[in-house]
Amino acid sequence: MATRAPNLSSHLLYRSILSKPPTAAGFPKILHQHHLSSPYYSSAFPTEPPYPPTESEILSAALSRVLDHGFTSRALSLGATDAGYLEVSANLFPRREFEIVLYHLVRERMRLGERVQFAEEGGGRTVGARRLGVGEKIQSLVMGRLRANVEVGVQGRWGEAIALMAVPSNVPPSLQELARLADEIWYLSGDTSVDGSWYTKRASLASVYAASEVFMTQDQSTDYKDTEQFVEDRLRDVQTVGSWIGNTVEWVGYTGWAGVNLLRSKGFRI
Amino acid sequence: MLLPSLTKRSASQLPYLHQYQLPVFDFLAPCLATRISQSPRLHFSTSRRRRRAEVQSTDNGSLQATSPKVKTALSDEQRKFLESALRVNQAGELAATLIYTAQTPPIVKAHPHLRPLMKHMYDQEAGHFSTFNNLLAKHRIRPTAMYPVWQFAATALGWTTGIMGREAAMACTEAVETEIGEHYNTQVRVLLGWLEETEKKGEEVPEEMRELVEQIRKIRDEELEHLDHAVGEDAKEARPYELLTSVIRGGCRGAIWISERV
Ligand SMILES: [Fe+2]
Ligand SMILES: [Fe+2]
Repeated sequence: MATRAPNLSSHLLYRSILSKPPTAAGFPKILHQHHLSSPYYSSAFPTEPPYPPTESEILSAALSRVLDHGFTSRALSLGATDAGYLEVSANLFPRREFEIVLYHLVRERMRLGERVQFAEEGGGRTVGARRLGVGEKIQSLVMGRLRANVEVGVQGRWGEAIALMAVPSNVPPSLQELARLADEIWYLSGDTSVDGSWYTKRASLASVYAASEVFMTQDQSTDYKDTEQFVEDRLRDVQTVGSWIGNTVEWVGYTGWAGVNLLRSKGFRI
Repeated sequence: MLLPSLTKRSASQLPYLHQYQLPVFDFLAPCLATRISQSPRLHFSTSRRRRRAEVQSTDNGSLQATSPKVKTALSDEQRKFLESALRVNQAGELAATLIYTAQTPPIVKAHPHLRPLMKHMYDQEAGHFSTFNNLLAKHRIRPTAMYPVWQFAATALGWTTGIMGREAAMACTEAVETEIGEHYNTQVRVLLGWLEETEKKGEEVPEEMRELVEQIRKIRDEELEHLDHAVGEDAKEARPYELLTSVIRGGCRGAIWISERV
């Protein structure tokens, strides 16, 4: 293991770790909470990046080690030394290797808008020349996000990440991040509806994404053609169910009012 | 906070701050120094740090320093306030459009002369609803999870009061608009408080905030106009007036309370 000469701040880091052992309970709360995106998104009031620079450096260095070492504490320690800190500073992350997974999820969610851009906006990797419908955009965005795992080089290890996300104490932050991804995808697709369908849209997209992610870990086809097909089919399924629910609600409302009008025409005072 | 004070960057950035600003206008040093130390997170506020103080010459020829306006930031509480306020407003306007939709047929049938008034009030409510729909989409705020419940409740309320007759329907509008008017008033007061505070600090108020205050003010005025119309159309003659209005007002407060939370 090659360790770089520790710099001044690593010493400070080291000393503070020795004087105050990092337990999950006693550690500054900020580590557990800074991934939360602020409410009230606005271009007039930019928000802070979700990770402070130190953590960002260590975690992104750790990600480059995942291909060889998996999502492990070892990758985290190597990430710390790669970034020029003492190995012990990996202790800054009470959630250990799961923190690498979460960092990747957050970073790729925030980069998705740059990764997948649509023709009318111009620039970046454009998908098709004609205007895409919302459904096609959703599909491109889901595939774009899944392919990001390949591009970052963690796809081969993604089964480990899924196992980590399924550890009971990791489930809430994982689900929260999945919900944020679903919201991001709907937002990037240009969907602006803020009615009763808001929740079902996000919930069904999240379920499709989670299923596709699991499917993709088993996919041996060229360029993940099978995953692409899987995503397309699942999205069609939820669309059918979604429009069935929507139509039923509409039908009940329509039939209700039709009945009321019928009674009114018969002289009932309702 | 433990981390930021220990990072590699903050240590190397401090000298940079000194050579960049302080020696140039050293007669301003005390005031600049306090400004800098007030900036809580050095990592993220590069644009703020890089702003230079500008020196302007005044009429009498003396040099006076005026600092350019710093863009103000929103605290987490402020963001949360805006988020829940806009969500409640959208839910309220959804309810308003549905109340009028359900009231209009029976009322207009019995009192054809009320058609233009009902349409006028409905159109304004539809405008308010679309204003808040746009704001929710723009600021990525989720609608209330009670959306379908409010849809049902508002339709039921509009229908019931519509069948009860003109006075009851107007009493319903009077009760709803009294609550909603107060609700919007509170929001305007809070937002104006922020603007005043921001200006006092010498920071720049984004256009977006001023616009929001104006939008809410305009909507509030229209709600109060509905209140006047309702009273003019004998809302006070409704029987049982006290019971009806207190139940509706209680319902509004409950709905606001719930929508602020879920
Ligand atoms: Fe309104
Ligand atoms: Fe109104």
